[in-house]
Amino acid sequence: MALFVDLNITNCKEVKKLQSMIEMAAHLGYSAVAINHVAEFGKKKAEIVKPIATKDLFPSPPTVQGKSTPIKILTRLTIVASDPSHCNVLRSSSPITKLYDIVAIYPDTEKLFHTVCTATDVDIICINVTEKYPFFFKRPPLRPSSHRGIFFELIYTPAIKDFTLRRNTISNALSLMEVCKGKNIIISSGAEKPLELRGPYDVATLGLPFGLSERSAKSALSTNCRAALLHGETRKTAFGITYTMKKPRDDEEEEESAEPASKKAKKE
Amino acid sequence: MEERPKPASATSHKRMVLKNFSEYHYLKIQLVFGDEKDRLSAVQLKSLILSALKELHGEVGASYPLDVLKFDGKTSSAILRIKSSGLVKLWTSLTMVGQYQGQLCSIRVLQTSPFLLALAGNSRELVLD
Repeated sequence: MALFVDLNITNCKEVKKLQSMIEMAAHLGYSAVAINHVAEFGKKKAEIVKPIATKDLFPSPPTVQGKSTPIKILTRLTIVASDPSHCNVLRSSSPITKLYDIVAIYPDTEKLFHTVCTATDVDIICINVTEKYPFFFKRPPLRPSSHRGIFFELIYTPAIKDFTLRRNTISNALSLMEVCKGKNIIISSGAEKPLELRGPYDVATLGLPFGLSERSAKSALSTNCRAALLHGETRKTAFGITYTMKKPRDDEEEEESAEPASKKAKKE
Repeated sequence: MEERPKPASATSHKRMVLKNFSEYHYLKIQLVFGDEKDRLSAVQLKSLILSALKELHGEVGASYPLDVLKFDGKTSSAILRIKSSGLVKLWTSLTMVGQYQGQLCSIRVLQTSPFLLALAGNSRELVLD
């Protein structure tokens, strides 16, 4: 069974709040969470800051409910863009985006949505759920995006907060599902407080009124998130050609040096 | 070896296959408040659930046969019973609960099953340390 992943936990300045949110996610049964860093390009001179050091956050991450493994903490960058020129930053500043596990984009206009789906190198496209969508989803840009393994993200926290936001969320989700038929969807929390998080099974059921089938609702939390993570990993390296793992060299060298020495000692 | 004693009455073998016969679904839920001092009574919980159902699914959703079978005030957890056709409606509206009278809260669905007996064990945390 694929593990449950929540790919959007809002990064706040308070470390304690972030810690309690991650603890809550682990308690609910999420095996991995991604801390979201937002860079708004509507304002000029938006800086892409370095991601929060996940190792500093927790000396030992909390264990996941029902499992004995610790929770995995990832970093994610969301770029709020309104102009195609903002996407250039993605290419030119690749050393900065390489620091993040996942890169997401939040297109504002239909033209930008089209370019993002067809050409830009991102992992996730965020769907705005807080207001009525300014354009219709069309099939032509969605097809290449699914071929390239890009996912669309829906956020459920606004639906919990407010009545009108809930209506917009459901209507936007339904109009998206009509076009993409429940494929390539990720549902994540976008939580700012620990109490805004919901359990993975609750969220999977929440996918049903969004127009997903039972199966695709569950994969929107687990399998699709895993695919997006792997897509991010290939973007970080060489587009799926190679991926090398760093070995913990210090320990191995010690072991290697230790073993022959002991063998020599025995031979002598 | 000794021979086994034969049962007094003659036994007969009968095979029955039931499909979707469970009329009801049972949910074990827990109410969590941001402020731990806050508590609810069973009546308040039921009214909260009904208002949540009404908000998301309207009058039809609120009129599904729903019972609070058991309520534990200490842990503020409860066992609900709903007609199987209304399970998704109830579950989604429970998930959408965000506040009660201005206080932040959330309802966790701990377990769900068509059989009440299954709620006796814990299906999410099979290994308890």
